[in-house]
Amino acid sequence: MALLEAEDLAVAIGRLSPLDGVSFRVGKGEVLGIVGESGSGKSLTALTVMGLLGLVGGRVTRGAIRFDGTDLVGLDEAAYRRLRGRRIALITQNPMTSLDPLQRVGAQIDQVARLHLGLGPAASRTRSIEILEQLRIPRAAIVHGQYPHQLSGGMKQRIVIAMALAADPDLIIADEPTTALDVTIQAQIIDLMGELVRARGVALVLITHDMGVVAQACDRVLVLYAGRVAESDRVDAIFAAPRHPYTRALIACIPREGMERGSLSGIPGLVPSVADYAAGCRFAPRCPLVEARCRTEAPVARAIGERVVACHVAEAADA
Amino acid sequence: MSRDTALARVLRTPRGGISAAVLLLLVLAAVFAPVISPFGYADQNLPMANGAPSARHWLGTDEFGRDLLSRIIHGARTSLAVGTVSIGISMLSGIVLGATAGYLGGAFDRVVTSIVDLTWSFPEILIALILIAILGPGLQSTAVAIAIGYLAQFTRLTRTQVMSLRGETYVEATIGLGATHAHVLFRHLLPNAITPVIVAGMLATGNAIVLEATLGFFGLGAQPPTPSWGAMMSSGTAQIFIAPWIILFPGVAIAVTVIAINLFGDALIDALDIRSRLRTG
Amino acid sequence: MPEPLVALRALSRDFAVGGGLLGKRRVLRAVHDVTLDVPRGRITGVVGESGCGKSTLARLVLRLIEASSGSVAFDGRDLGSVTARELRALRRRMQMVFQDPYASIDPRYSVRAALREPFEVQGLKLGAAEAGQAVAQLLDLVGLSAALADSFPHQLSGGQKQRVGIARALALRPDFLVLDEPTASLDVSIQAQIVALLERLRDELGLTYLFISHDLGLVRYLCDRIVVMYLGSVVEVLPTARAKPRHPYTRALLDSVFEPDPTRRRKVARLSGEIPSAFDPPPGCAFAARCAQANARCLTERPVLADDDGHAVACHHPLA
Repeated sequence: MALLEAEDLAVAIGRLSPLDGVSFRVGKGEVLGIVGESGSGKSLTALTVMGLLGLVGGRVTRGAIRFDGTDLVGLDEAAYRRLRGRRIALITQNPMTSLDPLQRVGAQIDQVARLHLGLGPAASRTRSIEILEQLRIPRAAIVHGQYPHQLSGGMKQRIVIAMALAADPDLIIADEPTTALDVTIQAQIIDLMGELVRARGVALVLITHDMGVVAQACDRVLVLYAGRVAESDRVDAIFAAPRHPYTRALIACIPREGMERGSLSGIPGLVPSVADYAAGCRFAPRCPLVEARCRTEAPVARAIGERVVACHVAEAADA
Repeated sequence: MSRDTALARVLRTPRGGISAAVLLLLVLAAVFAPVISPFGYADQNLPMANGAPSARHWLGTDEFGRDLLSRIIHGARTSLAVGTVSIGISMLSGIVLGATAGYLGGAFDRVVTSIVDLTWSFPEILIALILIAILGPGLQSTAVAIAIGYLAQFTRLTRTQVMSLRGETYVEATIGLGATHAHVLFRHLLPNAITPVIVAGMLATGNAIVLEATLGFFGLGAQPPTPSWGAMMSSGTAQIFIAPWIILFPGVAIAVTVIAINLFGDALIDALDIRSRLRTG
Repeated sequence: MPEPLVALRALSRDFAVGGGLLGKRRVLRAVHDVTLDVPRGRITGVVGESGCGKSTLARLVLRLIEASSGSVAFDGRDLGSVTARELRALRRRMQMVFQDPYASIDPRYSVRAALREPFEVQGLKLGAAEAGQAVAQLLDLVGLSAALADSFPHQLSGGQKQRVGIARALALRPDFLVLDEPTASLDVSIQAQIVALLERLRDELGLTYLFISHDLGLVRYLCDRIVVMYLGSVVEVLPTARAKPRHPYTRALLDSVFEPDPTRRRKVARLSGEIPSAFDPPPGCAFAARCAQANARCLTERPVLADDDGHAVACHHPLA
């Protein structure tokens, strides 16, 4: 059984529906990538799983989320608080805002273990330093005693990851954890996260806009466009043979080794905002393979083995 | 562009709409004072002195039998004229000084800031008193005193705005196109900087009116027979037990005016969402 | 070899930060001793991470900020010694496209006003009809509908705003464009659109580009030559995009580019440490602290950029 499972999840904010029918699952030791551009609903998915929709005035209107058998939709706040930080941890994009500038970083990590695992001050400190060492932070004991402003962006993000790991969670949701970091540091951290996740048997949901990161670090991937699932499958399979026109186009948007000058073209049109979703298939206005049916009828996500695709044209090709 | 729609938004709120109506009434009263006053402001009528509010004299009469309503209407003229003219001058000078100091920086900025900070550290009333001691009492002196008293505020506000906008990418882009400093300052910096300054000016007018009234109370502002709300309150103190309306109604007039200005200004700040930009740095 | 369009010689820029009564005044070496040529008609890429000085370099090249020492020559003219009037005239030939499309246009200016400003600023009086035509032509050039001329920035998407920024930069028909991370703030599908536009414009208008980016993958795709910067200095100049890196930092940078291809997953080499602070650059090679091959010499002696048949490296023991 998958550790985290979402089924036909739909979320509304006011009268808009930025998430419409998203399904995915992730198991222990597995890395699921959720990839999309702005307005795809990927960050909203993270908030929904964490039960933080209230922060943006959203609510679940359809579907279910199950974590280790427990239904998360409609779970009361007290129960959710027991899960957050302890069994499900969230890592956000900006380490600057995740850390308290007035407290030493070590203390912030210690707090997690003390709060969730009931460890004493000495035990939690030892544990925190251990985690910092696992995160390849040199002179971990010294870093433990420093304040956030004394650390670089990459270091701060590692501290945030340490905080996420401190309570030994079963599931980590990382929302664009490396977007704000330098390229060489990003590579280090992505590599690190993959290693830790596999070593500890933790499930990782990695939210990103970068298909390169997905190819490098993820086992499975969910491609979102305008709040809906475009395609999902194991990473090797999807990159080898993407079937949704958006997936194909998204992969083609990234310059790769050996690409000839002039072969990058992007996807015409604009990335839609929640208020301007098209009727029918939301990708239709930009799709190179669009047909009449696409503009009026929203495609349904259909599964063929592990592959899930929501596209009329792809469906017709299978028939 | 945005000011028009913000204005419309303000007028639609009860706070904004009512205060705007009151202010409009005051301005009209000041402008048409001679026309709408039932009596002349200097018309004495000693037998009617210290008369209570009646059908003939709606707000009563003062110690010389002069109609209080007429004097208050003419007093509006004094207060609004002095308030707006002095703040207007102050604002204009402050914008020029502040914008150049903020844009040029360096020695010029340091000089301007030091001089302006000198006045910044004194309460406006003290500056006003010093200037009036030098220039002698009267309406002109009052106006000058108020203008100088508020100069620091406008200079600093403009300077802060310009300094923060100076780093904007579009300013850099405009310089990259080959623009002169003047072009950047007048076409990009000032238009974007000016909104908080104008709103601050509006609120300062309210303060200026109180300042004028204060000076008038001590006989240092407009000299008789020119009616001034402050002077009227001053002379009313002697009659406070016999004819309390003489001190009361001018006081109410001041309060209503200033409250209306402040409410309107506050509503405008909210509508323009510039609360954070009003810091003088 | 024809004269380069832009020639930088020993260019440096320091920033003094802090000071005052209680703090010590510190000097930030943003760009240090850069000597570089930008050949005509080619796309030269500048790549590096935070603190490498690439954005400062972009502004030095166009004299949007002053150099602390060294010189910048545009088409043979030393930008440091021209008069203000001459500089304004020269600016017609060299323009910049900025990273943040949201901030590069005055929010109070319509697209039309923003595109007419270059002409106004340069004293080129345009009649109403002429101006209308110029605006329409520019919008067409960057693939935007003429109907957008009366829109304001907040009504446009990021990609559309960036196109307006590019149109504005091209209004005066420059020879040279400096592009400072022009696609960094955009969505992936739009980034590729803008890159394709930039390629087309360069081919059509014969422009010279200085393309600044942190994305080595993009730079290798787009550029003819690549300049790699680290902590204010040039550490390598690759004569072609595909040239094999010789500097260990360039190698690390290349290894950090994740291809959208799971069959080509990399084993990410452990790169220890962080980018040092530009306030206290270490003596010797700035990269020594993180370099697997650093020896005693690297820690004390700063390597000089040595040219070897077009491929320049600043390293005591470059990779084969």
